[in-house]
Amino acid sequence: MATSSHLLPPQALHMIRSQPSKKLGFSPFLSCAPSMNPILSISRLSLSHSVSKSSFSLDTKARREVLVRAEDNPEAVDANTATEDNVVEADEAKAPRKPRVKLGDVMGILNQKAIEVSEKVRPVPEIRTGDIVEIKLEVPENRRRLSIYKGIVMSRQNAGIHTTIRIRRIIAGIGVEIVFPLYSPNIKEIKVVSHRKVRRARLYYLRDKLPRLSTFK
Amino acid sequence: MAMTMASLSFPSPLHKTNLSSSLSLPSKASTFLTKPSPKRRTLTISMSMEAGIGVMASKLGMMSFFEPDGTVVPVTVVGFREGNIVTQVKTLATDGYDAVQVGYRRVRDKKLTKPETGHLEKAGVIPLRHLQEFRLTSVEGFEPNQRLVFDEIFKEGDLVDVAGTTIGKGFQGGIKRHNFKRGQMTHGSKSHRALGSIGAGTTPGRVYKGKKMPGRMGGTRTKIRKLRIVKVDKELNVVMIQGALPGKPGNLLRITPAKIVGVNIPKN
Repeated sequence: MATSSHLLPPQALHMIRSQPSKKLGFSPFLSCAPSMNPILSISRLSLSHSVSKSSFSLDTKARREVLVRAEDNPEAVDANTATEDNVVEADEAKAPRKPRVKLGDVMGILNQKAIEVSEKVRPVPEIRTGDIVEIKLEVPENRRRLSIYKGIVMSRQNAGIHTTIRIRRIIAGIGVEIVFPLYSPNIKEIKVVSHRKVRRARLYYLRDKLPRLSTFK
Repeated sequence: MAMTMASLSFPSPLHKTNLSSSLSLPSKASTFLTKPSPKRRTLTISMSMEAGIGVMASKLGMMSFFEPDGTVVPVTVVGFREGNIVTQVKTLATDGYDAVQVGYRRVRDKKLTKPETGHLEKAGVIPLRHLQEFRLTSVEGFEPNQRLVFDEIFKEGDLVDVAGTTIGKGFQGGIKRHNFKRGQMTHGSKSHRALGSIGAGTTPGRVYKGKKMPGRMGGTRTKIRKLRIVKVDKELNVVMIQGALPGKPGNLLRITPAKIVGVNIPKN
């Protein structure tokens, strides 16, 4: 049933032809190719449209995903339109049908969710290497006062929720580098003070340079 | 008298014949290699008993979790495929022991052999790939084709034991496999990563059984004990457990309540 074929990526069409109409487990969906068209809003409509026709017999538990990913929906749902001879569970009664989350996407979704939660509490500005930032940190033991750390961003390591930046500064004549997780609840404020033009992603060369280059008032 | 009889009755390795252990009970249950026989006076928990019903799961990966106070906790994300359905309940009357058999991971019909399919159809469950038993003291309240929901069995903050197959490392030498120390790299030494001496001289004139030597490492079942459940996510059907778990992402895990003497297991 490729009625919404204008929305289907060619890979999904191929998959419908090749997979036999049976009760499919997880594996076929995990092996389907990632779609190339990121149509977010249209895929939502196509989801509700094609659910009313298809017999979605995969999911028996009440595991539904709120965050709908564009790649999943057209392929997961439209593959099941081919399995029309199966148990007609007819989930049309449950109107808001949320598609199944692939186990391979869970890590990405978890990181995204955690970042969203953190951004709601405190938005994180865009920070790149070469920015001179000021960070206000709350130490749990010393809750009355906020510690302030200023310095140049030497590197940024992207790791989902544990994205970190490395700040360098000369404090009392000694070069100090501190690593901050950007989405930590202890960081109360991050402010970009200024920017220095750099031509590197990691400024490790500052360790060998004069202290003057790492001094910030 | 009893202690001499106990020490002679079974061929234990040299480092296990300590008289203190044989003083505890006159039967052969003093070693931890044999299970206590059912003819003992009290029914105690043997090593294969679980402290409660467990579930099977798949390892998904690792990430960091920020606690509300700012502490960063390394967690393993554990997901659940379609499964965790009771397939058979074994009782003392029918099978000689009490256990609950749980299946995991739904597959296509043609992936299972006919005997396996028949066994599952007797319980009326969907085709499942993995079957594992959880041996319990009492099997009340479990019926075939009953789904085990993770949320009801485990809560946040619980301690669990997780068992799984470790990453296979292949044929490894003594240093990696048994944490041996290597020899000197310079100063004229000719032995860097070798085993060194493997025994004494003319007496005993042989190498002891169980001598640690190179061999295949990993790919075995291990159990990591007393891991804390950090978060249970009901929408994604995912659990976060503090620490690292055996295997790579996609690995089958067996999660059971932690067996802590005094809390879950009666002290005997």
